[in-house]
Amino acid sequence: MTITTDLGTDLSRGDANKKPNNTKTAAAAVVTGGGLAAFGLSRRSWAGLGLAAGGAYLAYHGITRIGPYIGKVRVSYTIHRSPEELYNLVRNPQTWSEFAQGIETNRKEDGELALVLGQGLGFKLTSGIRITDEQPGSYIAWSSVPGALEHRGVVHFKPAPGDRGTELSVALEYKIPAGTFTQALGMLYGQGPEPLVRENLRRLKQFAEAGEIPTTTGQPTGTRGVRGSALRILYRETKAQPPQQQARMAGD
Amino acid sequence: MKALCYQGKEKLRVETVDDPKILNPRDAIVRITRSAICGSDLHIYDGYIPTMEPGDILGHEFMGEVVEVGSKVENLKAGDRVVVPFTIACGNCFYCKQQLWSLCDNSNPNAWIAEKMYGYSPSGLFGYSHMLGGYAGGQAQYARVPFADVGPLKIPEGLSDDQVLFLSDIFPTGYMAAENCEIKPGDVIAIWGCGPVGQFAIRSAYLLGAEKVIAIDRFPERLNLARQGNADVINYEEVDDVIEELKWMTGGRGPDACIDAVGLEAHSNTIPGWYDTAKQSMRLSFDRPLVLRQAIQACRKGGVVSIPGVYGGFLDKIPFGAAMNKALSFRTGQTHMMRYMQPLLQRIENGEIDPSFVITHRIRMEDIPNAYKMFRDKQAHCIKVVIDPWAEQAAA
Repeated sequence: MTITTDLGTDLSRGDANKKPNNTKTAAAAVVTGGGLAAFGLSRRSWAGLGLAAGGAYLAYHGITRIGPYIGKVRVSYTIHRSPEELYNLVRNPQTWSEFAQGIETNRKEDGELALVLGQGLGFKLTSGIRITDEQPGSYIAWSSVPGALEHRGVVHFKPAPGDRGTELSVALEYKIPAGTFTQALGMLYGQGPEPLVRENLRRLKQFAEAGEIPTTTGQPTGTRGVRGSALRILYRETKAQPPQQQARMAGD
Repeated sequence: MKALCYQGKEKLRVETVDDPKILNPRDAIVRITRSAICGSDLHIYDGYIPTMEPGDILGHEFMGEVVEVGSKVENLKAGDRVVVPFTIACGNCFYCKQQLWSLCDNSNPNAWIAEKMYGYSPSGLFGYSHMLGGYAGGQAQYARVPFADVGPLKIPEGLSDDQVLFLSDIFPTGYMAAENCEIKPGDVIAIWGCGPVGQFAIRSAYLLGAEKVIAIDRFPERLNLARQGNADVINYEEVDDVIEELKWMTGGRGPDACIDAVGLEAHSNTIPGWYDTAKQSMRLSFDRPLVLRQAIQACRKGGVVSIPGVYGGFLDKIPFGAAMNKALSFRTGQTHMMRYMQPLLQRIENGEIDPSFVITHRIRMEDIPNAYKMFRDKQAHCIKVVIDPWAEQAAA
């Protein structure tokens, strides 16, 4: 059975009526326009104001031409458990508190799952999903609810060769409005979609096979200093632990 | 507690840090009674291992007494005397189940870093960079041991700490290097490097039935120790050409297998050696593979090159044409510790070997920074340094 990664073209179909977009020239227009506007304002003269107005229009022209960015993520892990066991683990949002990091899930009454994908600076990147199709022990397909960060995906649970367990594969497609700028903004709050999916799947594998997530948060350390603290951020060692891990550490 | 902390290239400091605590249900806390400095620690000291952070606690060869266990550890209790392997393994993944313990999928919290460099991540190690987990190490008074139901080996009464400490790394490492040579009756094994791993590889090769071991180094005390293990020796500073010497000593055949027990800081006063050193000092390459080149050239056709020596990154100018056309096999890897610890403990109990023969220096915590320098520069006939983390007065 092949893993379906082609999720159709629905995500891009809605833009068929928009003008063709060229993100590079649009981005160039924004940068040039913004630069001209700033320069014009700094002149503090009528000519400067005129220049600023022209620059601002150029920037606006660029921003409206930047089309949506459509990204794809594909991650696969082989996990030494049966497809049914893994299906049950994934299907139950309760277990996510054992391993999920950077994703909070809240089940609403109407079956919708609200997701918080990253937060900071008083701003939250959220989405909401609904399961659109599933077969226990085999696959789960979902898509975002209207008004949320648009994406959809499918996770397959396929028996792995020999006695290796299950090949768990996630394929998802997401659309970010106003393309690269918003994507960059999103990455400030989270890690970007691919590491987010990959690391959470890795932690699911660790939880499913080893029963716990390997960690060094809370271990003794010598003086880190400025360099050490900066490196800790670079190596992503300052991220919050999954909620169950935090509860364990607080409890002792 | 006191712990030996990395603060930069050639900068180590004994600091007072928090005691470790249980972080996961399969953890245990060990009060360390004996620890050691490894040759691979010197690569950290010399700044060749990437992803180190100031404040990291070093050390991966340690043993002691269990003082606390997590809620899911059933095979150990407080008071048990254990040796802790330097690799950390979950016991349940594909690799652990295949006895490939140093390749565990689930013990590296920073697996993404190793994946960027290597494609896939090996297991986490104690005290050996953040790419390999960033775990606090064992040159300290206490250590937190993850997956304590898999790693630590219980030691029976009647054996001293000195006799069993090296089950934590160097004895299984030398043994696996020799086992990887696929020794058959009549085989002659050549071993580059008469440091502690090389010394254990010599004795392990004989335990596994080698006809003869030829050991290569330049320091007289290390060559003498090799002779005491029944090896013939070559001092490479006294011969014209090591490869021709090996050909002469093996009836023109070449050694059946070659062990590189030196790794990335190989030394040589030859033009290729200066080239490697220059490139490495300019950080144009990570490793100095002089010994590896020699081993490939020297090995007989169809033979095995066994590599316990640690390498980190990319090598330059490897004679791969020689390797391919002579049909060489390469066997390598960090030691699959849990495979060897119990059987080698058995050999120690039977009196077949007393690993304490490599110890030349015993020190306290405060002496560790100087001891690294002494060990690296081979001063004072240093071969192996062991640490008593609780000693107040200078030991004998």
